[in-house]
Parts: sequence; C-alpha cells; structure tokens
Amino acid sequence: MITFNKGQIYIVTGASSGIGEATALLLNELGATVVAIARNIEKLANMKANCKYPENMHIEIKDLTDDIEGLPKYVKELKEKYGKFSGMAYCAGISQIKPIQVVEFDDIKSVFDINYYAPIFMTKGFVDRRCNIGKGASVVAIASAGAIGCDPGMTSYAGSKGALISSMQSISREVVKQGIRVNCVSPTLIKTGMAGEIEMEYADGKYPLGIGEPDDVANMIVYLLSDKAKWLTSHNYVIDCGAII
Amino acid sequence: MKKSDFLVELEDILQREESCNETDNLEDYEEWDSLSKMSIMAYYDKKFNIKLSLKDFKDLVTVNDLIALAGDKIQ
Repeated sequence: MITFNKGQIYIVTGASSGIGEATALLLNELGATVVAIARNIEKLANMKANCKYPENMHIEIKDLTDDIEGLPKYVKELKEKYGKFSGMAYCAGISQIKPIQVVEFDDIKSVFDINYYAPIFMTKGFVDRRCNIGKGASVVAIASAGAIGCDPGMTSYAGSKGALISSMQSISREVVKQGIRVNCVSPTLIKTGMAGEIEMEYADGKYPLGIGEPDDVANMIVYLLSDKAKWLTSHNYVIDCGAII
Repeated sequence: MKKSDFLVELEDILQREESCNETDNLEDYEEWDSLSKMSIMAYYDKKFNIKLSLKDFKDLVTVNDLIALAGDKIQ
C-alpha cells in the first residue's frame, strides 16, 4: 500500500481540475502535504474543500506562463515557504486541435509555453539541490500518448509533448546521481474539462475499456512519486488502454 | 565582476546550501562533477565570452584557480 506522511511535500501544477486535481486529492488522501498550483482560485478552493486533510493542502494561485524564466525562483520561494520538496507532478497543460494549414506561430508558442517551457523551468527549479530532499525525490510530468501515436491536427500539442518527453529523459540522467527520479506519464484521451467535442468524437469506439478517468492517471502519477517506484526513472509510461501503442 | 559577486554566482551554479570561498578546495565540494564543469563552461562563455575546455579544469585545485581562468574579468 502506498502511504505518505505530511513531512513529504509535493508540488502539483494544474491542480484545480482534471488529472492535476485528481493527483492533488489522492496525494493528500494518502497523507502527503500538497502545494496545489493553478490559475483559478475558485476551482482551487473547491478542490481544497473536497480534500481529506485540508490542513495539508496549500493552494497557490499562479499563471505559470506569466514569467517562465522566473519559475526556478518561484520554486525556490515555495521551498522557503513550505520546506524542501519530495516531488512534483506537472499536470498543467492545454490542448489544441488545428490543421497545419491554419497553424500560426503564436498557436504553437502558446501551447509550448505551458506544455513545454513551463514544465522545463519548473523542473529546473525543483532539481536545484536546495529545493528538494535529494535521494527519493521524484518528478512526474504529464506528456501525452498523442506524442507517440499522433492524431491529425496535433502539430502544436503533439510537438510540445514529444519535446517534453525527450527533455525530461535528458534531465533524468543529469539528476539521477542525486537520487532524483524523473518520469513522464502519457495518457490518451481522459474525461476532463480539456477534452473537447472533437476529441470525444475521435475517441468514439477507440478504447476497449472505455474512456479513461482522471483517477486512472493519478494512480500512476502517485505511484511514480512514491518510494514504491524507487527503481523507476527516465521513462515515459503510456496509459492508453491499449488503444494506441 | 567583483570576486565577491562571482562567489555568490558560483554558489548558485553549483546549487550549494553553503557559501563558496576563494580558498575552498573544489574537490571538497560534493556538487563538483562533470555536469557542474559544463555549467561553469556555459557560464564563462555567456558572461565573459571565454570558451573553456575540459582540459582547463584538469589542474584546478581551489576556487581561486577557477577565478584565475577568467583573467581580469573577475577582480
């Protein structure tokens, strides 16, 4: 059984909805302290109202794309406030479906800002020796099965997630000496607010076990953050119900 | 750049909890490894336009030796 104690502090980004919310709630339920980051204060407050141990759920309002280069400093400030972190689940992200004919540079940039640059700079902050506990610390970034088996219209999204998978693997090899583990989880379509009408239509009949729920991904994330996964690093775990890979 | 400012920057590059001093032996730093040398190389290139190679690190003993690699750019 996976358990945590309140001295184990985890950053969860995108914590107000979908996979991030499910991850924050599960970590909290299992005993960890969570620093839950998102843009929307009402949604975050609502998430906190639903958690098991509110005293171990701290909410932080932040748009991670406001000052991407400043994110390492932001992580450091969070560390001063809460203590050294045991892990981070980077769940913030946006989707975009646009055929290449209508993709503009700004479309790609807006997707890369939150799906690629922000997790890289958050990770840069996290892996700073002064911000994490060292041996046993774990980073999990949400990528996407779409980076591997791409659907049409995913130029920006699939690109951002594919880049993230590659960069996280490189980072994992830089920090493994410190005992920090870094992995990606790549879900396919999950029933969240991010899944739009077009995605749901694509998904129709594609998944033999039905469309995934946020908890299906959160369980994997929390496992990878926990000491039960102490031998797992440098990989991308696809969660797709066998539909893509 | 003043030596004192460089020492603060070095502390940050190496992500040290403790401060760096001129006479510290680099090999005593737990953080002193091949990746940190690469970070120093990138820093010297960007900050001082000095391109170091790995062999420049071979004979370094103290932080002062590292500072000497920047010539008069760190005083």
